[in-house]
Formats: sequence, C-alpha cells, structure tokens
Amino acid sequence: MAQQVVMPKQGNSVESCIIVEWNVQVGDKVAVGDVLCSAETDKSTIDVESTAEGVVLAILYEEGDDVPVMVPIVIVGEEGEKFELPKKEPSTENPKEEKQEATASENKQAEKAAAVVTAGEAQGSSPRARNLASSLGVPLSSVQPTGPKGRIIERDVASASGQPLSPVARQQALEQGVQTPQRGSGIGGRVLSSDLQEKPAIATPSRLGEVSEEIQEIPVKGVRKVTARRMMESIHSTCQLTLHAQADARALKRLRAGFKNAKSELGLNKVTINDLILFAVSRTLLEFPAFNAHFLGDKILRFGHVHLGVATDTPKGLLVPVVRNSDVLSLRQLSEETKSLVDKCKEGTIQPDELSGSTFTVSNVGAFGIEAFTPVLNVPEVAILGVGGINLKPVEDEDGDIIFVEKIGLSLTMDHQAVDGADAARFLKALMDNIASIDLLLAL
Amino acid sequence: MSTYDLIVVGSGPGGYVAAERAGALGKKVLLIERGYLGGVCTNWGCIPTKSLLNSAKLYHHSLDGAKHGVQAASVTFNLPDAMTWKNDTVKTLRSGIEFLMKANKVETVFGEAEFVDPHHVKVGDTVYEGSYLVVATGSSAFVPPLPGAKLEHVLTSNEILDLEEVPESLVIIGGGVIGVEFASFFSMIGTKVTVIEMMDEILPMMDAEFAKLMRRELKEVDFHLGCKVEEITKEAVFYTDAKGNKQSTEASLVLMSVGRRPNTQGMEKLGLDIDRRGIVVNDRLQTNVANIWAIGDVNGRSLLAHSASRMAEVAICNIFGSKEMRMRYNAIPWAVYGNPEAAGCGITEKEAKEQGIPVKSETVQMRSNGRFLAEQGKRASGLVKVICHQESGAILGVHLLGPYSSEIIWGASALIEAELRVQDVKEIVFPHPSVSELIKDACFALDHSL
Repeated sequence: MAQQVVMPKQGNSVESCIIVEWNVQVGDKVAVGDVLCSAETDKSTIDVESTAEGVVLAILYEEGDDVPVMVPIVIVGEEGEKFELPKKEPSTENPKEEKQEATASENKQAEKAAAVVTAGEAQGSSPRARNLASSLGVPLSSVQPTGPKGRIIERDVASASGQPLSPVARQQALEQGVQTPQRGSGIGGRVLSSDLQEKPAIATPSRLGEVSEEIQEIPVKGVRKVTARRMMESIHSTCQLTLHAQADARALKRLRAGFKNAKSELGLNKVTINDLILFAVSRTLLEFPAFNAHFLGDKILRFGHVHLGVATDTPKGLLVPVVRNSDVLSLRQLSEETKSLVDKCKEGTIQPDELSGSTFTVSNVGAFGIEAFTPVLNVPEVAILGVGGINLKPVEDEDGDIIFVEKIGLSLTMDHQAVDGADAARFLKALMDNIASIDLLLAL
Repeated sequence: MSTYDLIVVGSGPGGYVAAERAGALGKKVLLIERGYLGGVCTNWGCIPTKSLLNSAKLYHHSLDGAKHGVQAASVTFNLPDAMTWKNDTVKTLRSGIEFLMKANKVETVFGEAEFVDPHHVKVGDTVYEGSYLVVATGSSAFVPPLPGAKLEHVLTSNEILDLEEVPESLVIIGGGVIGVEFASFFSMIGTKVTVIEMMDEILPMMDAEFAKLMRRELKEVDFHLGCKVEEITKEAVFYTDAKGNKQSTEASLVLMSVGRRPNTQGMEKLGLDIDRRGIVVNDRLQTNVANIWAIGDVNGRSLLAHSASRMAEVAICNIFGSKEMRMRYNAIPWAVYGNPEAAGCGITEKEAKEQGIPVKSETVQMRSNGRFLAEQGKRASGLVKVICHQESGAILGVHLLGPYSSEIIWGASALIEAELRVQDVKEIVFPHPSVSELIKDACFALDHSL
C-alpha cells in the first residue's frame, strides 16, 4: 500500500517550507529516517526524513516550491505499485500563477486573432514571453523553448526575434542558460558576452534618465516574510523610543588587542569587541530586570537569566539566534557560543528552537561605520541595543585640554509601554560605565 | 553675452567632431581654437607625418626599383618639395574642417580659451555662456628636464616638421609610435638615425615578437634599448646603457619623443578632478562636474586621434542624443605608418596573461600570401597574429606587421566589436589576392575544423 510522506510541522509558527534540494529521485529505495529533501523554514533549514519504507513512486513538488506543512510531498510504496495522486495543494505561491495562466487562456482567443500565437504553443509559455512575442511580432510556434518543462520563456523569444546577440554571447547564453538583456553594451546595442555576466555593470546615473531597467519580481517568502511580519508587528504593537549615547571604548580596544596577542591556549584570540559588549549587556541587565523582560499587554514577564538575541546578517536575511543564560557564561564561553550560533545561521543549519526565547537583543552594525541608528524592538522584548562603530570624539580632560577619545555608539530602543525614558537612561548610563571599565567588570 | 547649447574648446579630431555632430543635431555650438583647426592631428601629427612618410617611401622604392624592372637614374630626395606637398595637404584638410563647421552651423572663434566657470568661457574680452562644455584641449609633447633638453637642436614632433634640410644624424629619444615613424622617415631619406629607448623594447603596445621584427626591418636605424639619457650637448647625447656603462652618440639633431602630457593648464576654476593621466572621466566621458565632458588626449584614456573622434560621438550622444552610450576601449586599432607598417587591435598575449584571460594564438608569415610575395618578394618579412579566447574562440587580438596593415586593421576592430569567434571568421570571404587573407589563414591555423 503506497504511503504518503508529508512536509513535517516545524513548531507553531511555521506555515510552509520551501524545498531547497531533493536528495532522492523516483525509483530510489528509502528507509524510515532517510533524508528525502532539505527544506527551508522561516528561520532555518531542516532535513525532511522519510516516514515510510519502500520505493519512491512519486515526487510531488519541485525544488523551490513553497509547500504548506502537513501536505504530502512524496509517495512511497512497492515498485510498480499503482497509486493515486493526492489532490495537490496549491503551493502558497501558486494561486497567483494559476490565475495568471487562466487569464492567459482567456486571452488566447484574442491572441489567435492577432495571428501571433499559433496552436503549437500549447506546451506553455511564460506571460513575459507572450508579451514580448506579441510586441515583437514573433510567432511562438517559431520559438525554440529552453525553459523548464519545455516552456517558452522570454529569453527564447528574444533570441528568436533576431535580437543582436554576438556569437560568443549566444553560445554562452545557451550553455549557461543565463538571461540575455534586451540591450547590450556592444555596437548598436548588440549583446556581448560581458553583458551576460551575473553582476550588472555599475550604472552611472544618466543625465537623460534613460537607463534601461529590468524590474525583478521577487516573491516575499521565507526569512523575508517572517522579518516583514515581525517588524510590522513590532512597530504596530509597541511604543518605541530610542536613546543614543557613546561609551568610552578605550578599555574595549585595549582588551581586544590584548586578547589578540594572548596565548592561544587561553582561547581568547577570537573574542571580538561585540563579545565584550554582549558580556557587558548580560551583566548590566541583571541590575535592571525591567529591561530583561517581555511585555505581553496585560502583564510583564521578568526573567531571572539573560537570554541574549544576537541579530545576525545571513545570506538569507536577518536571523536572531539566542545565547541562553548569557549572564552566567564566562567571556570565553559567551564568545564561543555566539560564534557557534552565528556560524550555524550563516550555514543555514540553525534549529528553530535556537532562534526563539530571547529576552533582550543586541544588533551591531559598527563594522559598516554606522554611528547610531534606531533598532526595531524584537517583540515581545522590552528593549533592544544597537551598537555602532568606534570613532574618535573630542573630550575635555581633567586639565581642561581637548583630547580625542575612542567612543562606541550605543542606541537603546525601549518600549515605552513597559518602561520609562528615565529608566532607559539609567540603564544606558550603567551600560556605558560598565563598557568604559569593562576590565573591572570582567574581574568581578 | 552670447549663449550656446555647447561650447567646445579645442578643434582637434575630438573637438571638431564633437562640434560637427552637435551642430548636425541642430544645437547652437561654439568651437574655440587657439591655433589651427584640426589640432595636432591635422597640423603636426597624423596627417603631415603620413605625407612625409609617403614621400620617403616613394623615394625609397625608387632606389629599390631595379629588381622590379624599374630603372630610375639619379633619384634624389628634395625635402623642401616634400614639405610643400605636406603643407598643401594640411592646408586643404584644414579648410575642409572649416567647411564642415560652416555646413553644420558651428561658430568658430580663434584665441586662447579662459575658463571662467563651468558655464562660461572667455576669449579675449568676450565671455561666452554654454549649457554644456566639452574640453578637447589635447596634449603636448613632454620634454623631460634633462640637462641640455632646451638646446636649439633638440626638437619635438612639432618643430621637426619644419626642417629645411635633411639632417646628417638624428638621435631620437623614445621608441614609441612617434619616435619609430620619424626613425623610419629619416632613415629612408639618408639620415643616420639612432633611437634611444628606456624600456627593453620599442612600441610598448605591440606584441614583443612584432616589435623585434620591426627593429630588424628598420635596418638603417641603430636601436639602443634599456638606455637612460643623462645629458644632451651640442654635439652628442650621453646615456647609460642597460649594463650601466656610460655611452654617447653624436647627433646634429635630437628628437624628443618620450610621451605626451594632457593640456590641463588654466582649468583651476572649473573644479575638475584631474590626475596624472589627465581629466578624470567616466565611461560616458563625463567629468566630475556634471555639465563638463572631456574627450581625447586631455583625459589620457587613449591618446589616438580616432579614439578622440569616437569619444566626441559618445559624449555628444550622451549630452544631446536619444540614448546612453559608453566608450568601449577594447577594440581601438592603432597603426605605425613607417616602412614597414604595423597595426594592431585588441590585446597582446602578454596582456592576456596579465589579465588572466586564457587565450591561444597563431602567427602566420606574410610571405605565404600571394599578393605580399608578388609585391615584396620572398626575402621580405611580415607577420600576422590572431589571438582568441581559449574556450569561446572569440577574437581578442589581431596584430599585423607588413604593407597595408593600417588599412586592414579596421576589419579586426569589427571582428572584436562584434565578438566574432574564429569559427565565424572562417566563414567570411576575403578578397584574393590581398594581404588581409592572412587573417583568415591564421584563423584556420587556430582551428582546422570545418
């Protein structure tokens, strides 16, 4: 009896997963627990394991499809066994496309009348291809399809229209399947091989404002979708206020330099400025429990330990892994734990439970030379600290002379529903003092 | 105050083409020139040297005509007559440019341009206002601060064009295109010529193999490579050779052809970004000041007349045209019009290596070509080299040494611009007999398949 393997449920917040890569093909033998495919959830990449044993009879979704959880993705059974295809759930991005196709078929009559589209195009063509074909007057029957499943895509119409592609460019386009631009940089707009490179030439703004542009449509899904929802939720549900300050960074720099040169067996060489900030935050928060809290509308939860969210820039987008109990970790442990979590985020192997449960978040954009910014609360947290770069600032010393001191920018956004501005100012001041004398803090 | 859509300063092959193209589009254009219309190209460069070289070649071939059945008794070379022909040519071309300006309703003003601000240029007491400014002030021969460099018998390529007598001996400092062309000219008319070059080889844009052959073909010229000139006196040029020994060569005349410098003096008030090469421009020839464009030698990107003209078209297209255009530098041909001629387009093998481009190349001897053999004989030398991309087969460079090279090389530009591959060139029909067929031969040598 053929069995269905479904897209597993990933916690409560995950509605759908994008299939990243299939590890099996139709006809492969699988056992329970074998990895069928990897899929991307909102927050991480997971391996989807087989829940059945037998031969893969059918794979129901392609790589890149966004599949709702608990929907069958694979049918496993005995070789040659007859099975019924389940009614395929439209993948979340699909309805729109199907609608487009429906409209396209409605338009077919009209297109036929224009004698542009012939019966031969039944294999399918993309809407962009049809648009271009009708604007250039290219019959789709004369177009050689190179799209997935023999579909005619825009590129095919462009090459069939006698678009001036240099022989080298044509060869490369065919071999690498790259999109050819409508206009190239060669003689008379001829498309050259250099125009096919992925990175577009840096376009200097035109006085004429006539730089041709191609508008890309990117579906909002995965990490982007979650970030969009959570950011909007944050702005809608909280009353955000940001305080800016600058802490003396000389001790930070001194320590960092010391660690860099320290004996490697101490394991301190990789401790970063950000690790030191995280350390200072985790210790300062213990004195200010109001900031190590969640605001839930009718109640406020204060936590006994600091679970630090570390905003991390990854190829997929913003992820916030959580360093648990950071207040009890030594600097070295904190540094190692942070690095391990950040690496997992970048590799896409972070688990959903490592991305939730933070009580306070730190976002550091200092490496880009940013001085100060207004970080957005990671709800339901009560506050978030933004860390800027280290810059020289003039300061009056004890003798009344102006000296230049290295200062690090700190931006504290807090939810005014949960705490007041003066509380935030006191917390920020304490944090500044702790950072300025981070060496003393470490000695405690 | 007169106002214009465009003010062009400098009327060389960059400036006058810019004025002509803008005028043809119906724009109100002012062209300012401090000397003669046509700039260095028409008056002291491309044109006069071609005229003189042709005279010298005629003389040289006459002396060498007996084996071809041409007996000419008492052939002599009369420099003043050659100069008259040259001057007549220059004058005719100059009036041709004048006519072109009139035909395109370009107003021309003679005098030194004084740049007041990005929209105002003063000539004499008159201030002209322009929406756009094209700077095409060109370049000047660079005279290094050597002891004796200012002596009367030390000339640049400008003054040497006014010689009245054939010099007995000439030392040319610098073996670039200008140096080699003059070396060829003077050696053909009987002057004892020595070229002193600081680099290890002459003609740096040329494939090394070709430069070596060029030296061999210029039999009468004495080349000293890797030598640094120390001092010039009335009688001789003193230099240190590659081994560090002090040497000297007697010379009744010295030509300084070590390079050219952009004419960027007097532009302080424009606020232009200027570096060692010249006025800094982007691929569209626009400077850091939005309404100012710089074309030709003054931006230092490619010091060739035809580059300047193309830059003019690109700039005018970007200013007044209907589409954006970028200057492409990868298929600009160059030519050396000595005896023999040489020309090239695209990259050399050395450049490919430096840029990490995988290439393959084939070189064919010109004497395998029917026309070359018929005219030059089996002893003559000439080479054609085609360089293509190792994988795609795209033609990346073509190098020629031999007669007609300068007239053939545009074809190579077309091949490179169109990004044609070796297999595509093999499908083109070349006229027979012609030296150009060798390009096709080199392509078949690269890939025999059909």
